[in-house]
Amino acid sequence: MNDIVAAFAALHGALFENAVLPALFALGLMDFSEPAFDATEFVLIGLIQIGAVYVLLRPLEAWFPAEPWADRKAVRVDVLYTFLHRIGLVPIAVYALLRPLVDGTDEMLRALGYIPPGVEDAIPALHDSPFLTFVVYLLVLDFADYWRHRLQHRWGLWWALHSLHHSQRQLSFWADDRNHLLDDVIEGLWFSAIAFMIGVGPEQFVAAVMLIRFVESLSHGNVRFGFGRWGERLLVSPRFHRTHHAIGVGHEGRRYGCNFATLLPLWDIVFGSANFSYRGMATGITDQLGGRDYGESFLAQQWLGLKRLAGRA
Amino acid sequence: MAIWLVADSAAAEIAIVLNSGEGTVSVVDMGARKERSRIPIGKEPHHLMATPDDKHLIVANAVSNNLVFLDPATGQVVKRIEKISDPYQIGYSPDRKYFVSASLRLNQTDIYEAETFNLLKRIPTPKAPSHIAFNAASSLTFITLQHTDQVAAIDLATQQIRWTIKVGPVPAGIWMTPDDRHLLVGLTGADGVEVIDWRKPAVVARIITGKGAHNFLAMGDKRHVLVTNRVENSVAIVDQQSLKVVEKFPVPGGPDCMELTRDGRELWVTSRWKRQLTVVDMASKKIVAQIPVGRSPHGVYFRGHAPRQ
Repeated sequence: MNDIVAAFAALHGALFENAVLPALFALGLMDFSEPAFDATEFVLIGLIQIGAVYVLLRPLEAWFPAEPWADRKAVRVDVLYTFLHRIGLVPIAVYALLRPLVDGTDEMLRALGYIPPGVEDAIPALHDSPFLTFVVYLLVLDFADYWRHRLQHRWGLWWALHSLHHSQRQLSFWADDRNHLLDDVIEGLWFSAIAFMIGVGPEQFVAAVMLIRFVESLSHGNVRFGFGRWGERLLVSPRFHRTHHAIGVGHEGRRYGCNFATLLPLWDIVFGSANFSYRGMATGITDQLGGRDYGESFLAQQWLGLKRLAGRA
Repeated sequence: MAIWLVADSAAAEIAIVLNSGEGTVSVVDMGARKERSRIPIGKEPHHLMATPDDKHLIVANAVSNNLVFLDPATGQVVKRIEKISDPYQIGYSPDRKYFVSASLRLNQTDIYEAETFNLLKRIPTPKAPSHIAFNAASSLTFITLQHTDQVAAIDLATQQIRWTIKVGPVPAGIWMTPDDRHLLVGLTGADGVEVIDWRKPAVVARIITGKGAHNFLAMGDKRHVLVTNRVENSVAIVDQQSLKVVEKFPVPGGPDCMELTRDGRELWVTSRWKRQLTVVDMASKKIVAQIPVGRSPHGVYFRGHAPRQ
């Protein structure tokens, strides 16, 4: 493990030192050298993650598909979404947009004498255990994400954007980043607010995002297995999440759907939205059966999302 | 004999390194040139300094909003002071009356009463107040403003900004020469150090040290100061009387903070991009060790350091 970390650190350092830093210096952007160091790492991890997920899940999708497909043409646009996210373009743009807002709010509060507390203020023992602190952060972020996702289905305007994610009828491990860009900004704002409120450190935030992304890739996979009776209740599985994407189930009934959890089905169980009765249904949105168009290309999908938001599509 | 060896090992000099990107402190056995342990410390520890009585080492955890006091002999946590807002860089005034904390992320400089850590004033200092220096009389503290390319002088008694002046791009480290005459400012966005006559105040000279000039450390002879060049990957030695570079040598990995042994024989430098502590033999200027530590190592300290001037 140490050798892997050391090899990654060497790659990260070399890339930053020999390519990114000289470019920043030449462009007069040395103000951003430290965020750029983190961003370089984020991009590298994203690329490694894409490779790892592909190697793990592509064979499984071929050997044990939940749905057999004649071709994978519809999946291609999701590959674009994945690269836009994982090589950092979308997250870095969202970060650049939101960081001044978060820091500005923080600055204003402190000028008034208020320092936002962290979870360590409530549980001092966490000072000595970064791992436990990380677990607490992960639980809070996952809980918040459950409610964000639930509201995406509950509120019509938000669903106008989020329905883009659900419009993929060939659901694969590439689909988890298929989102409207405006929805990405809202998600960034949501996570930033939660992270700000509980005092998540930047490195723990990145680690949490990476873990969540890995599980999301897995849970979107076109594979027909679950984690067993108890495993299904511990971690979101492809079966569990496929039910969330199922036509007539995922966005219907019980106030617009079921199985909203990202990591832990616990939240669905506690708040009455769990559905463990996977029946191998087709994925998509019911109104697609009536011919509603969500777009095939990236630009068409983004444009139609805005039109739905305006009530014109 | 065995008992003596154990005792000797326990008393071995340690270097303490802040791994700013993972919230830990590396305790490095200086003799063995090996990390002995890694201790959780808090979120984003960037800078550290000894208390004026040298009994403790203060680690400033920017995101945790606290100061952690360590035993400098063992690296063990002794106590924490909470509710110190975003302490990025910290410093005591020479008369020990004031404790100053620069909040880089939040554009504020806090002046505390050093004895009690009671906040006297939170002063807006946009943007990105970074490093701190003082004049000998302890009447002024000087802060580099990294994002507006300025240096600000704050009157410690009134806690008002006395003046700001424009300097070169991305000023970071700031250093008062031992004669209390000049401030040296490391320009991380340029290739050297600017010299400020702070009484005027005006920039009076520029010393080319290397791309990405960043931070300073005295060599203990009241004459020479070391400057890290973070982009060029080098360290320059500047004569503070002639204001000229007298020597320069390579240090890899984005050299940042430094510590020099009391005998002047070894320079220990954090190599920020490489997760390493680089040890340079100062006679030959050759690298004699590269010690793996944590992510984004920043501040470094050991007790047996050279005098601070």
